[in-house]
Amino acid sequence: MTARTIDPITLEVLWNRLLSVVNEQQVALMRTAFSTVVRETQDLACGVFDGRGRMIAQSLTGTPGHINAMATGVKHFLSVFPPETLAPGDVMITNDPWMTSGQINDMTVVSPVFKKGKVVAYFASTCHAPDIGGRLFSGEAREVFEEGLRVPIMKLFIAGEPNEPLMQIIRANVRTPDETIGDLYAQMSSNAVGAHSLLAFLDEFDMDDVEDLSDAIITRSERAMRDAIRQLPNGVYTNESWSDGFDEPILVRCTVTVRDEDIDIDFDGSSPQSKWGINVVLNYTHAYSSFAIKTTVSPDVPHNHGAFLPVHVTAPAGSILNCQEPAAVASRHIIGHFLPGVILGALQQVMPGEIIAGSADPIWISVWHGRENPGKDPFTFNLFQCGGMGARATKDGLSATGFPSGVAGVPAEVVESLAPIIQTKRELKPDSGGPGARRGGLGQYSEVIAGYDGPLAVSALVDRIDHPASGVLGGGAGAPGVYLVDDAIRPQAKAQIPLKSGARVRLDPPGGGGYGDPFTRNPDLVLRDVVFGYVTIAGAARDYGVAVDYIGRPDALVRMPTDYRIDAAATSSLRAARRG
Amino acid sequence: MTHRAGADIGGTFTDIFVIDDLTGEFAIGKTLTTPDDPSRAIETGLLETLAGAGIPMESVGQIIHGTTLVTNALIERKGARTALLATEGFRDSIEIGRENRWELYDLQLEHAEPLVPRYLRFDVPQRTLADGSARKDLDEAYVERLAQELAEAGVDAVAVCFLNSFANPEAERQARAAILRGAPDMRVSISSDVAPAIREFERSSTTICNIYVQGRVERYLRDLESRLAGAGFTGSLLLMLSSGGLATVETATRFPVRLLESGPAAGALAAAAFGKAAGHEDLLSFDLGGTTAKFAVIDRGQPLLAHSFEVDRRYRFKKGSGLPVNLPVIEMIEIGAGGGSIARVNALGLLKVGPDSAGADPGPVCYGRGGTEPTVTDADLVLGYLDPAFFLGGGMALDLDGARQAIKARIGDPLGLGVEEAAWGIHQIVNENMASAARIHALERGKDPRTLPVFAFGGAGPVHGFRVAAALGSPSLIAPFGAGVMSAVGFLSAPLAFDFVRSFPGRLGDLDWKRVNTLFTNMEAEGEQVLGESGVAAEAITFHRIAEMRYVGQGHEIRVALPAGNLGPDLVPRLQKDYEAEYARLYGRLGPPVAVEVITWRVVATGPRPEMTALAGGGGSTDAEAACKGTRRAWMPELGGMTDVKVYDRYKLAPGAAFPGPAIIEERESTLIIGANADCRVDANWNLVAELARAEAAR
Repeated sequence: MTARTIDPITLEVLWNRLLSVVNEQQVALMRTAFSTVVRETQDLACGVFDGRGRMIAQSLTGTPGHINAMATGVKHFLSVFPPETLAPGDVMITNDPWMTSGQINDMTVVSPVFKKGKVVAYFASTCHAPDIGGRLFSGEAREVFEEGLRVPIMKLFIAGEPNEPLMQIIRANVRTPDETIGDLYAQMSSNAVGAHSLLAFLDEFDMDDVEDLSDAIITRSERAMRDAIRQLPNGVYTNESWSDGFDEPILVRCTVTVRDEDIDIDFDGSSPQSKWGINVVLNYTHAYSSFAIKTTVSPDVPHNHGAFLPVHVTAPAGSILNCQEPAAVASRHIIGHFLPGVILGALQQVMPGEIIAGSADPIWISVWHGRENPGKDPFTFNLFQCGGMGARATKDGLSATGFPSGVAGVPAEVVESLAPIIQTKRELKPDSGGPGARRGGLGQYSEVIAGYDGPLAVSALVDRIDHPASGVLGGGAGAPGVYLVDDAIRPQAKAQIPLKSGARVRLDPPGGGGYGDPFTRNPDLVLRDVVFGYVTIAGAARDYGVAVDYIGRPDALVRMPTDYRIDAAATSSLRAARRG
Repeated sequence: MTHRAGADIGGTFTDIFVIDDLTGEFAIGKTLTTPDDPSRAIETGLLETLAGAGIPMESVGQIIHGTTLVTNALIERKGARTALLATEGFRDSIEIGRENRWELYDLQLEHAEPLVPRYLRFDVPQRTLADGSARKDLDEAYVERLAQELAEAGVDAVAVCFLNSFANPEAERQARAAILRGAPDMRVSISSDVAPAIREFERSSTTICNIYVQGRVERYLRDLESRLAGAGFTGSLLLMLSSGGLATVETATRFPVRLLESGPAAGALAAAAFGKAAGHEDLLSFDLGGTTAKFAVIDRGQPLLAHSFEVDRRYRFKKGSGLPVNLPVIEMIEIGAGGGSIARVNALGLLKVGPDSAGADPGPVCYGRGGTEPTVTDADLVLGYLDPAFFLGGGMALDLDGARQAIKARIGDPLGLGVEEAAWGIHQIVNENMASAARIHALERGKDPRTLPVFAFGGAGPVHGFRVAAALGSPSLIAPFGAGVMSAVGFLSAPLAFDFVRSFPGRLGDLDWKRVNTLFTNMEAEGEQVLGESGVAAEAITFHRIAEMRYVGQGHEIRVALPAGNLGPDLVPRLQKDYEAEYARLYGRLGPPVAVEVITWRVVATGPRPEMTALAGGGGSTDAEAACKGTRRAWMPELGGMTDVKVYDRYKLAPGAAFPGPAIIEERESTLIIGANADCRVDANWNLVAELARAEAAR
């Protein structure tokens, strides 16, 4: 079969089959994974690559930083281990930040697929390891060497048997040996599940390899991506946003140039490489930049090598978005998660209907480390939380929903079954959604305490405490995040801090920004928000110019929609006053 | 009382199937569904069917019923005004959900709207910890006052879901008592009764669904009981559950959420029963209607069970976009593919079919009701698989020219294909989509689809079943007689059954077996009680025990069967061995060297399974030629395109009849298409079986 002979109908059939193969791979990965990071929060990516190392399909979910970085990273494996150096049953691994997804916790595992003695494809997955040694996951390191064990591109399994010396080295260097090793087994197993299905598929269709199929997939995807870009007016669009940074704010500035059917995204003007562990490798910058373009310009185009080709991402060497060795990078997602929002903001002039207002952006990760009593093993637990998404042109933003990351939260009951910490609160935070004609998604109000008397430390990788999510086209900013100990002490974010016995840790992920002028929001929608407790009565007047009265019993526990009403006259004057 | 009747209420028709358990003689009835009062159609349909067959009502000993009432009430949001009482600080668990987007690239997505609006969700002072201990006791006075106010506000249903209540239900029970003190008429469901398993979002959601529909279900079932009694029925009325078991009206009223998806569940049961009768204990059930296709794996004569699913998916088939319900359900995969699925050429110049559907209105172009986009039914018509003059037994004329023009203009011309080639493309791609879904579904359950016969039913199942089976590499296709009433048939093959579950995690090496034995004793006693209420003698009940196990640290369990009787540490080596065997089967090799733990313990209590008597009473002869009505031009790619294909009358084919493909076999509600190079025969149960051993693959 050659590329020319694959007619559109056969191509659709084969392509579908390939997608079902990678989804099988992901299902197996989640079902066999050990860490909550993989199985509950889905901080992972799965994909299949052709014999030349080009990604041809990815699984349905996962997180863009992993998917896209993995897609561009597999070529490094091929150069270290060309096909002739691989045997059936070999599995390769690395967590080198500069080759893959920019963080030493991210393990990429790649398995070749053999057919008739020849490598015909590769399956790969990237997962966030629950621990990789070094400092507790934080932004405190000054060099990557402090952040844990770096595994160069090596064989994890050799001809089907574990590479025991490597396994022993990993075990000896991490705080969660069973989980870290268990996840590597899951990655290996799921690649094998994918390979098994791919071989059955090749046999069924009498194909020797996937090269013609991959050519067809990549060519068509690239063409569709280019056609979509062509719809945009040529021009140069810029935007910037601030992260709280570690000890000083970090500027992320982008210039988006639309040139016919190509898009250049350049980050010149962004802050220089930081001395803390929040630096981003170019591979990861590229990953979130191309995600931003895809999600706005061409959400329907399948994601593969071809879809990346028209998007060109650059940042000066030494920039925080193209950091150089030995920069510390553990918390690179903090900065990386800002990129889609910044790029969407730049595109607001040309695609106001497709973009969204600023979101909470970085996912909130807090790493809890302690020991219940001297007789017990110490524990390390990663808690993931999400703030609000920005409002859309025609819809309110989604509350407590991660963007741009695709990861999920962890149920409180699962948290408490695995670690001796207690969540005492986890609710939507009123008035935290940025006001707008469309309101931003709400952030959360949450609190965690230790479930025992004994040593506990937390490292909270959180942001937007000083720099809230911005609104667009007249919309207001979302509420900033809150990170407090005992409601008073504001600890250093992105660093590990010891907690006193009985300490209460507030972790309120921020709200999303609003879209459009809040004083034009339909008062009935504002009333509904008050009834639902998304917006307070004071907030309705202050942020929206809508006067809502509560007319029910003052001490009532149950407050129904009929217990509230809009004061039309007061609303008119509030709204007029601002116009005036 | 030798007769049993199955009654299935569908969107358009209510199907009745009555069988004489002694002789196997059966009668089929179909009547229009009466949405305003669904029990009326059952009464009418049953009376008509019985009268037509000359069976007196007194001889009907059992009526088994499945209903979409619960599904519809949830989708249409027509349940009670419901409140949620949650542990303080957690009333938003059902709105916060899993905090993720189930579609990575769609910035416009929406989450499913919670059934309980935020103003009816309340924090209750109370906290239970993971080990079941109380960190803070329940403020009962507060709950009582809240209940009073809720009743005054017109709330008549309350769900209670406290954190970690699966480890200790005491606080929820106290809350229920306090609610009933404050509001004696309030309907209350507590999560530790409805779905006692870890994960607060899913457990809350399940509990809310249960109480949200309870009033409606109870009124309906009481009404149905009295209608049937009025018509002279003196036997027992049983309800089909989503797990494929049966329950009494009492049990169904307590746990109405367990009635969800009972129609599709029954279809899978029918596939299991017919497959078993035909000598196939392992097969793939395939139900294809106007908008969706459903597949279920039948394993050793039984459908498989899952323990969670979703209702009211916002994006119809996307996992994560619906309301989670964590209960035992016959495991199936549903995808957006059916007769109404729309075909389009996308931006990549590829042909896509579905998941959006033209539905019943406007419907396919060939219905002539204003549909302009070509659908699968239009393609089937162009390919000659449907007879424009004999659709629904001639009840509806189809517009062939319209279908041809739409396919030409929207698919053929843009892709540079002729009309038939384009129609074949549509047919082939929808089959591939279905086969892909079925393949993943089977493989995830450790089954190789190439070993599974396909059992095809539903309105469009027989049209596509052969090619789907070919795409899957299946050995054969089984097409039952009366494919359109399969769910009603399936009700009659289900035993009385109920499931119980307890969470009690522990490593294999240091389990508290005394506690485990107590759990099983209690669950089995409950089973005896529930089944005893519907007349099953204790000695007739079988208990199936299951341990859900995983490597310590994993999040997903695999199921391992346990023996009956008193369990102890001597069981450990066997459990370890069985676990490893199952794990290796599913994932190719064992996991890392770490301990294995049990998370949950389950019991399925099952009454005797009714033997499906071989159907009797059809007509016809064993001479296939006598059943041949003539020929029709139809597309057979393996024969080079349009070719003359023999058309058989299904009603004239008796067991023993045999003929080669290609063939078209027509009955009133459906048309069966068989490709070339296949051998067909009618088996003892009037199933048409096509062996694909010699058949070419679908492409």
